[in-house]
Amino acid sequence: MRVTANSETCAVSSLCVYRVPGVFDQDEDGLVRILEERPAAELHEEIRRAARGCPTKSIQVHEDEGAPASPTAPA
Amino acid sequence: MSTQTPPRYPFAWTPPMQVPEALRHVHDSSAMEVTLPSGDVALLVTRYKDVRALFADKRLSRNIARPDCARISKDNDLFMDPNIDPDPPEHTRVRSLVTKAFTARRIEALRPYVQQVADELLDEMAAGPQPAELNEAFAFPLPIKVICKLLGVPAEDRDRFRGYVDGFLSVTKLPPEKVGECRQNLWKYLGDLIESKRENPGDDLVSELIRVRDDEDDSRLNEHELHFWTQGLLIAGYVTTASQIGTGTAVLLHRRDLVREIQADWSLVPSAVEELLRTQIMGSSVGTMRYAIDDIPLSDGSVIKKGTSVLLSEEGANVDAEVFECPFELDIRRKENHHMTFGAGLHYCVGAALARMELQVATETLLRRFPDIRLAAKAEELPRALGGFMEGFTEIPVEW
Ligand code: HEM
Ligand code: SF4
Repeated sequence: MRVTANSETCAVSSLCVYRVPGVFDQDEDGLVRILEERPAAELHEEIRRAARGCPTKSIQVHEDEGAPASPTAPA
Repeated sequence: MSTQTPPRYPFAWTPPMQVPEALRHVHDSSAMEVTLPSGDVALLVTRYKDVRALFADKRLSRNIARPDCARISKDNDLFMDPNIDPDPPEHTRVRSLVTKAFTARRIEALRPYVQQVADELLDEMAAGPQPAELNEAFAFPLPIKVICKLLGVPAEDRDRFRGYVDGFLSVTKLPPEKVGECRQNLWKYLGDLIESKRENPGDDLVSELIRVRDDEDDSRLNEHELHFWTQGLLIAGYVTTASQIGTGTAVLLHRRDLVREIQADWSLVPSAVEELLRTQIMGSSVGTMRYAIDDIPLSDGSVIKKGTSVLLSEEGANVDAEVFECPFELDIRRKENHHMTFGAGLHYCVGAALARMELQVATETLLRRFPDIRLAAKAEELPRALGGFMEGFTEIPVEW
């Protein structure tokens, strides 16, 4: 999984940052920033939830892009 | 086309503590016409999918100061200000000056202060007579103190501005002259506040906005916008949160089993808070009024015609069975609770993270401090605040 976010549409809800703090962060203005583009597998479910819950749909989850070190087969 | 008058909105509440019965029948189509307190008709969009998409749709303008837009109240220009452009890009320019004060870091830095205020208020409540009235003892003073600190408003002024704000938010409660007087007094009060902060700036959001406004090289904020946003933040900063603390707690206390569950596992507090928000038990969605500047198709194939006045039903979306399992049940363990109580899209509530934090602190502190706290009145007899923007319970007697 690879995760990206669009800070131009982010509404600074802070929801993703509260949900998965190691992956999502905010810049000085509160706009979303990704800390870990290829997060560990145990975080995937929460990241999907964060993406579904983003009030501006600013988070994209690219399921079929595995971590470079240990690529996962597409589901 | 039906010739009957569309049903009245806000819908009537169903006692003792449930969401309006009418909500059980709103999902047959994507939208329904409703009659507002003014007598005007608007289109209420009710399905989650549509409500969520339309909150982010630029074809719905939030500028409702138009002659052909439905009015919420005929006695009050609620949410209408012809000198403010509430649509992007103008709106976004100002909003981004404000949102930076609401990052997770800034909110978490405020948590110890909120905890301290909650502890102090409950100490006072414990020392006073029983039953106590939860709104005045706790639900209102807590968010008022917090928003005052954040904005740099003297908390001693609260008796003054609360009266003005009540009038400002009247739908049918007060006659138009009285509403006008309150609006003027509130505007003047905030003008005086801004002037005094100009002379003696502090470490607060209003002082920060004044600095942006007065910087000659910075054209992001004009004087009217400074005034308007200070007013909006002060009002939105406590009215909704206070109603949710009081009324949400009343709903919870009515369910002793849920109180016990939380007391056995405090990690349930955040999801319980979200679930109480989802029921939207303290108000309707009259504040979401918008105006269609183009035709907009809905999920059932119908079309919102250009020129229609539209309300986005948060409470309707929140009980849509397509999204929420057993939507009329209170489930404090709901894992995925993306309710619409704070809206969505570019107007998503600026203060949502703050409100959530306050609600979590309030709920946990109250249930820890008074393990046996309960309602001291029959649930079905709690009076609702009708005729105003918020419709939470006006009196919530509790004993412990
Ligand atoms: C439980 C408490 C609260 C609820 C249910 C609530 C609900 C909402 C909703 C539904 C909207 C969007 C309205 C729309 O799109 O038409 C909104 C906007 C807003 N809220 Fe809140 N709110 C709460 C607390 C707060 C707090 C604590 C603050 C301030 C500190 C705040 C400040 C604002 C502001 C400034 C907006 C306008 C945002 C914009 O237009 O971009 N709210 N709120
Ligand atoms: S959930 Fe969405 S809107 Fe909220 S901070 Fe994250 S990216 Fe921004």
